Amino acid sequence: MAQPGEILHEATIREFITNYAGSDRVPVRFKIITDTSDFFRVEYNDVVVLGDVPYWVKRCEKEGRFGLDDEPKFWVRRAVELTTGATRILKLVFHEEFQTVIAGIKMTCFRSPKKEARLLDLVAGHKNFMHGRWVLDAAGNNVRILEFIRGPRFDDVVAGYGTDHHDYFHHYFLQVLDQYIELVQAIKFLHDHGEKHGDIRRDHIIWDEETQANRWIDFDYNFQQGESLFSFDMQGLGNLIIFLAGRGDVLVPDLYHKQRALFDTLWGEDLSIAYKNRVANLQKIYPYIPDSLNRILLHFSQGANIFYETTDQMLEDLATARADMVSLTGRQS
Amino acid sequence: MSEHDFGDLARRDTERHLLIAVDESDNSRRAVMYVADFFTGNQDVFITLLSIIPEPTEDFFPTEEKRQQWLTEKRTAMDKILAGYKEILLSAGLKDEQIEIRLSIRPCTSIGDAILEEQAKLRCCIVVVGRRGISHNEEFLFGSTSSKILHHANHCAVMVVE
Repeated sequence: MAQPGEILHEATIREFITNYAGSDRVPVRFKIITDTSDFFRVEYNDVVVLGDVPYWVKRCEKEGRFGLDDEPKFWVRRAVELTTGATRILKLVFHEEFQTVIAGIKMTCFRSPKKEARLLDLVAGHKNFMHGRWVLDAAGNNVRILEFIRGPRFDDVVAGYGTDHHDYFHHYFLQVLDQYIELVQAIKFLHDHGEKHGDIRRDHIIWDEETQANRWIDFDYNFQQGESLFSFDMQGLGNLIIFLAGRGDVLVPDLYHKQRALFDTLWGEDLSIAYKNRVANLQKIYPYIPDSLNRILLHFSQGANIFYETTDQMLEDLATARADMVSLTGRQS
Repeated sequence: MSEHDFGDLARRDTERHLLIAVDESDNSRRAVMYVADFFTGNQDVFITLLSIIPEPTEDFFPTEEKRQQWLTEKRTAMDKILAGYKEILLSAGLKDEQIEIRLSIRPCTSIGDAILEEQAKLRCCIVVVGRRGISHNEEFLFGSTSSKILHHANHCAVMVVE
C-alpha cells in the first residue's frame, strides 16, 4: 500500500532541492522520511514528507531549560519547506514526562502535541503568538510545522535598554510595560477560550522583527492543574513583570556581596514566591518604582496574602500602574 | 430533580438549602460529618451533595476511547463516594427526601467558580466545603477552591470545615 510520502520520488525531491539551493548542494545520500516516530532517525539533510510537502531538514533547535543552555532538542528541527523555500520549524512528537519543582512544589509536566496543535488553530492570525499548522505523519504522529520567527528574545532586548536601571526605568520602561500588557492580553485570549499557555517563561517570547510584535512560543507543555486552570500561567506572568521592572532579576546573593546595605533591608516576605533568590519587592531596591506597580509585584512575593486569579484582575492593576508611569516620566509611550 | 430542572426551587427558597461541595478527600468527608452533626433534627433543611469533576481535555489521553473510559471510571467511583456521604447524613437522622446528589462532569477553568455557579442556580443559602490545608506556595501555583469560594460567594453564607 502506498504511503503518503511515497508519491514524492527521490528524483522529484532532488529537483526541489536543486531549484532551492542549486545542484551542487543536493546531498549525495539522504533519507526520505514519512514516519517520524523515531525522531533520532531524522538527520541533517534528510527530507521529511508531511502531507505531500517535502521538508529539507537542517539543524536541531536548542533548549535553554534547567541551566542546560544549548542542549539540542532532537525532536525540534529547522527545515526548508521545499515547495516554497520558507524556513520552518518541525516539532516532532516527543512524549516527555518529567517532574519539576517550583516554589518548593513538585509538579508532573508532560509535552502534549495535541494541545499545541489545538492552540495553533486557536491563535492563527493572532499577532502575539507563533503561527503554524499541524499534520499527521504516515504513522499518525502529530507534527507541528511552525513559521520561523526572525528576531531576538524579548528579555534580551529589554536587558539592552538603558545605561543603568534609572535610565531604563525613566526612558524605556513605559514602552516595555505596554508590550507586557499586550502579552498579558494575549494570555487572556487563551484563558478566555479555556486554554492555558502552560510554560510562561521570558525566553518563550520572541520579538518578531518583521511584524514588530512580541510573540509567545512553545505551548506544548501541560499538567494537571488544581483549582484553577490559570494559576500557573499567572505565576509565569508574575516572574516576567518582576524581571521587566527590575531590568533583569535582582538576585539576593548579588545584593549580599555587592550591596550589603540594601540586602540588610530585605525580609523574607520581599522575595519572590516562585524563586526565593530573587527580590520581588523591587521598590526597596529602586525607590522610584511607583506604589501601583510595586503592588503588582508584591502579588508574587512570599508576603502575598492574595494572588491574582485572572488576567483581568492583573490588567486592571496594570492600567493604574501605566497611568502612574506616565505621570512619573512625562512620557506617553 | 433532574440536572436541568429547577422548577421546584421556589419552594426551596423557604427552606434552608445547603450545598455541600465534595470530592473524594478526607476533608470532604469531614465536611459532610460536620453538617450531619450540626443539622440533625432540622426538618426544614434540604441538602444538596455536589461533586464537580473537571472534564480533562484530550491532551491527557492517547485516545478518545481512553478518555471516555477514564470518565466512566471516575463517575462510577464518585457515585459510590457520594452514596457513602448520603449514608452519613441518613445515619445522622436526616430523611431521604431532604437529600439530593448532583454529580457534574464538565469542562471548567475553576472548580470554585463551577461550585458557585451551581450555588446560584440552586439558590442555596449556605455553601459548605472542606479545606485541604494546602501550603501558601501550593495555593499560589494551583489556586485554592475554598479561598475562591470565600472570596467570590454572593448571596449565601460559606462554611469552611477543617
